[in-house]
Amino acid sequence: MTYLADRLVKTFPGVRALDGATLRLQPGSVHALLGENGAGKSTLIKIMTGVLRPDGGRILVPRDDAGAHGKEPGPATDLVKGPSDTDAGLHEVRFSGPQDAQRAGIGVVHQERNLIPAFSVAENIALQSTPRRRGLVDRAAMRELARGCLDRLGVRLDVDRPVSALSVAQMQLVEIAKALATDSRVLLLDEPTASLTAEETEHLFGVVRRLRDEGRAVVLVSHKLEEVFAVADTVTVLRDGRSVAEAHPLADYTQEEIVNLMVGRAHAARRLDKAPVAPGTAPALRLDGVATALGHRDVSLSVRPGEILGLYGLVGAGRSELARAVLGLHPVTAGTVQVHGRPTRITSVGQALHRHRIGYVSENRKEEGVFLQQPLTRNVAVTVWNRLSRAGLIRDRDERDLLTTYQERLGIRLSGPAQLAGQLSGGNQQKISLAKWLAADCDILIIDEPTVGIDVRTKAAFHELIVHLASDGLAILLISSDLPEMVTLADRVLVMRDYRLTGEVANDTHDYDSTSRAIGHLLHAAAV
Amino acid sequence: MTTLTPPERRPRLPRLPERIAGTETTLAALAVAGYVVLAATTHGAVVSGGTLTAIFQFLAVPMVIGLSQMAVLSVGQMNLGVGVLTGFCAMVCAWLMVAAGLPAWLAVAGALLTGAAIGLVNGLLVVLTRINGFVVTLATMTIIDGLRYGVHGTATYQGYSHRLVSLGQGSVLGVPTVFLAAVAIAILVAFFFRSVPLGRRLLASGGNPLAARLSGVSNDRSLVVAHLVSGLLAGAAGVMVVALSGSVNATIGDDLLLPSFAAPIIGGVALAGGVVSVLGTCLAALIIRLVDVAQAQYSINPDWVDLIVGAVVLGAVLITQLRRPRAGGTP
Amino acid sequence: MSRPPHAPPSPPAASDAALPAPDPAVPVPVRALPLWANPRLGLLVLLVILVVVFSSLRSEFLNTSLTLEPMQADLSVTVVVGLAQLSVLSLGHMNLAVGRIAAVSAFAMGWAYDKLSVPLPVGLLIGLAVGALVGAAAGWTIQATGVNSFVVTLALDFGLVGLVSLLYSGVGDGVAFHVHPAGMDSLRNDTFSDYCTGSVCGPPVPLIVPIALVAALAVGLLFRYARLGREILMTGSGLKAAELSGIPTARRVVQAHSLSGLLAALAGFLLAINNGAFSADIGSQFLLPSFLGPVLGGTLLAGGAVSVIGTVLGAAITEVIQTGLTLLQFQVEKLKIFIGLVLLAALSLDRVRHVVAERRGGGA
Repeated sequence: MTYLADRLVKTFPGVRALDGATLRLQPGSVHALLGENGAGKSTLIKIMTGVLRPDGGRILVPRDDAGAHGKEPGPATDLVKGPSDTDAGLHEVRFSGPQDAQRAGIGVVHQERNLIPAFSVAENIALQSTPRRRGLVDRAAMRELARGCLDRLGVRLDVDRPVSALSVAQMQLVEIAKALATDSRVLLLDEPTASLTAEETEHLFGVVRRLRDEGRAVVLVSHKLEEVFAVADTVTVLRDGRSVAEAHPLADYTQEEIVNLMVGRAHAARRLDKAPVAPGTAPALRLDGVATALGHRDVSLSVRPGEILGLYGLVGAGRSELARAVLGLHPVTAGTVQVHGRPTRITSVGQALHRHRIGYVSENRKEEGVFLQQPLTRNVAVTVWNRLSRAGLIRDRDERDLLTTYQERLGIRLSGPAQLAGQLSGGNQQKISLAKWLAADCDILIIDEPTVGIDVRTKAAFHELIVHLASDGLAILLISSDLPEMVTLADRVLVMRDYRLTGEVANDTHDYDSTSRAIGHLLHAAAV
Repeated sequence: MTTLTPPERRPRLPRLPERIAGTETTLAALAVAGYVVLAATTHGAVVSGGTLTAIFQFLAVPMVIGLSQMAVLSVGQMNLGVGVLTGFCAMVCAWLMVAAGLPAWLAVAGALLTGAAIGLVNGLLVVLTRINGFVVTLATMTIIDGLRYGVHGTATYQGYSHRLVSLGQGSVLGVPTVFLAAVAIAILVAFFFRSVPLGRRLLASGGNPLAARLSGVSNDRSLVVAHLVSGLLAGAAGVMVVALSGSVNATIGDDLLLPSFAAPIIGGVALAGGVVSVLGTCLAALIIRLVDVAQAQYSINPDWVDLIVGAVVLGAVLITQLRRPRAGGTP
Repeated sequence: MSRPPHAPPSPPAASDAALPAPDPAVPVPVRALPLWANPRLGLLVLLVILVVVFSSLRSEFLNTSLTLEPMQADLSVTVVVGLAQLSVLSLGHMNLAVGRIAAVSAFAMGWAYDKLSVPLPVGLLIGLAVGALVGAAAGWTIQATGVNSFVVTLALDFGLVGLVSLLYSGVGDGVAFHVHPAGMDSLRNDTFSDYCTGSVCGPPVPLIVPIALVAALAVGLLFRYARLGREILMTGSGLKAAELSGIPTARRVVQAHSLSGLLAALAGFLLAINNGAFSADIGSQFLLPSFLGPVLGGTLLAGGAVSVIGTVLGAAITEVIQTGLTLLQFQVEKLKIFIGLVLLAALSLDRVRHVVAERRGGGA
């Protein structure tokens, strides 16, 4: 009954996301899938669930699976008579869509909810397998099915309640029940505890153990190692698209060893020449004991001109939210924010930009960073129209000159000033999104996840650019979940977890080994 | 068995369907209260047979029109052609009887078919061209508007099937037949969205297209079906007009477009799709009708009606908006 | 320069922000679109063809006083109505109340002329102010409550329908103000050919045409060159990105709706001039043309891009079809079939042209 993802390869333009990763799942076990950001976990999960197709490697599922549950693989499932050299009773499948994966017994509970908000719990659980009688929805049978699935999880929920009225934890349980309704033998839980309280997490793990005891294979993707150790039996660790530990009993490892496996030693951090910050320079931006309505508590930090301060943490740790609070998008409820030594209260981005010269390069490039449907000139000039306009009007030539300036300075590859931002590559879009802040003479830049989805070469160029800007005297607060990037760029690294800072790591040497370990321990073991 | 009931993290505001139930109760209470006040202040005039019959006779068409708009709103689309399509189908129905000499039942079938066919075309245009549904129905609405006059110019059809008219103007046990027909249609529509897998799929597409697709629902098909149902219901409304009024001309439907939106919006149907409320839509139509009646009974300037309906539309949406927790909640 | 052979299949899920987003490493080369792909040019060609066809079928089509002058006067109204809708389409919003805002403003103007006996320009200013205020109120409601612009302006429309009739029945004879302030009649009846210096007379263009032209020019300049207009477009293009770029988006929403109200009021004024009276039914036919012009002209409902020239051409095409078919003795209402078909054909062709142009120009 083993499920096997065998030596999967997946390449995106410029990035090899998976490079022979193997995932072997045994029934009746909880399997942890671990790895740093970018190690290839998401891609692996997407391939396992039929969302993406691999460029190489195979997926093998138990032979009896299709027949045993009376589910003929749909016409789209291309069954290939597998050369069952390694695993008897397995056959190779190719998923042409998520439905094929579901038919093969692989269910997934995504981080984002795949539920229909207005539908009841029962309707959601039975969405794919709606019981019918004479062609109509059989509500009684549907409720029965839903109750059955929830009972198996040991969950009491009113099956007639609309999903939109449930808590996040309850929605997650509904998603798991939904996977049971299609009789999934394998359940992939992608960061299931990211938005749960400790109590809810404990409850979820109770459910996970039940599923294991029923003989299902549960895959748990999590960044919280203490949780992984509490519930998982075996572990696969991915690094750079390869499995560095493969279905190994978790008991053989300590947390520290796992962290070391995850971060590895493969990255010889690149050294970039950067002017050191003169000692005694006054901070450009300084936060003292800042709290926000979103839940930040006691956040203190300072960035000096010429310095790159890293803010590391997981997605959802509250880093971008902190940046937005500084920009005046979320109210600061306690503590002080000082810009160039003067206490300030910023209430709008306009104010942050025009009065304090603080710029923010958003992590969400396509929706918040650039205007995809607008020409490049406007994308760059949007922050300085107040300065460019004469009697309220703006001359095209001024905008074009501005674009030319930054095109040369940042090395933006474009075909003409009228080109739309949406037609540029990701890296060049990011440069455009940076250029508008430079055009506005910002001397404090908050750069949020600058290289997500950007290929290696462009990434390296972007890193040089950031260091160059710092050397020019800009104060840079760098938010990133990319550890090698952090080690390469930052002078100091702050680690944030659950809206609090858990510690600071000096990174004067830019030595990947020591810095990444120190960060890893601050991050993964902080709450223990 | 141990029961692990996950702790509720914070008390949550009632949402969507619960909110709809709230809306429906409020609307029902409002309708009853309005009626009672009307009855009391007009010395029972609205309780008398004639007025009562008129109230419900002229409720039928707005109800079905509202449901027709609701059908497309369920998938997050709009149909600007609802009003003119009703007029066109009415003209087609009358033409089939008067000019083509077909029996009434065939003419009715023809009108329904016409509505459904135009709805189908709308849906196909939306899916095939990927042009915004608002614009597509704007274009088809303009065409149908012209076609409506193409049937018989500005002249009036009358003297068609007496049986159809007497049926339309008649009543069963004191309840007007057109109203009964509208109720039957409402029940069918409710049944469609509640118990027919196809109807469920429409709501799934409207509520979360991504999740719907992952569950094997074709969002394109949902769009086409929604437009088709909308057209069919507009056809039904057209037939009702023919049966009820005894004479039809091409101006029918001119004033139905905006009311077709008012009923579902007051009734709690989301413009974004995924949530419908047949009862709410019907109750909202009733309330609008009562405002009309009140105007006639008190001989108020008829212009107050629109003013009040406008205020109710905005008020209903604002209340819904305020009850919704701001930012956050379900992603 | 072709796309990489292994372009990843677009995942059905927009699921999570997968790490390796499939961004091509190589910038996609974008050649300027070929000339024939310019939608405005297509509209212009269509317009010319229509004019040629109609004038060859009916010579009266080129008759100045019978056809051309009334057509220009009507077109002036339609263009301004289209601009009123365009102002909010720039945000990705809609204004279903254009007609009623025009009616309310027309009432204000008629009232001012009738009761206050103000001169023509002063009354116009009062009307424009009323329109702008009503529009601003709609915009404010939209941005403060987050309710869809469609619903807000729908409710506003209902409210104003009633209000306008109530106002007219409260003041005046209940239907219209028949007052004719000084200058109104010449604005209505005269063309520039009535004004001569020596033997040189002006062209046969009604006096109200320049008003519409100035409006079109001003709106065009606003969205093309002014900071305000550009920031409105940016807000329509991406609300979040605009806010994060320091644009006061809430204010821009109010301003765009206010502009829409102001232009609706101007359209109401022009129509009242054409009709010779400020009456309650002004604006009742505005809704459809308000969308026809901009949509035919290539303005997106999604927001972020507007075309004033397109709107003018779109309105002109509609007007030419109407006039031409009327001359060919088509029934008034049947014209709509053709206008609808033209709209549908233009939209579909635009789609096809877009796809073809992308295929040819975009490589791969």
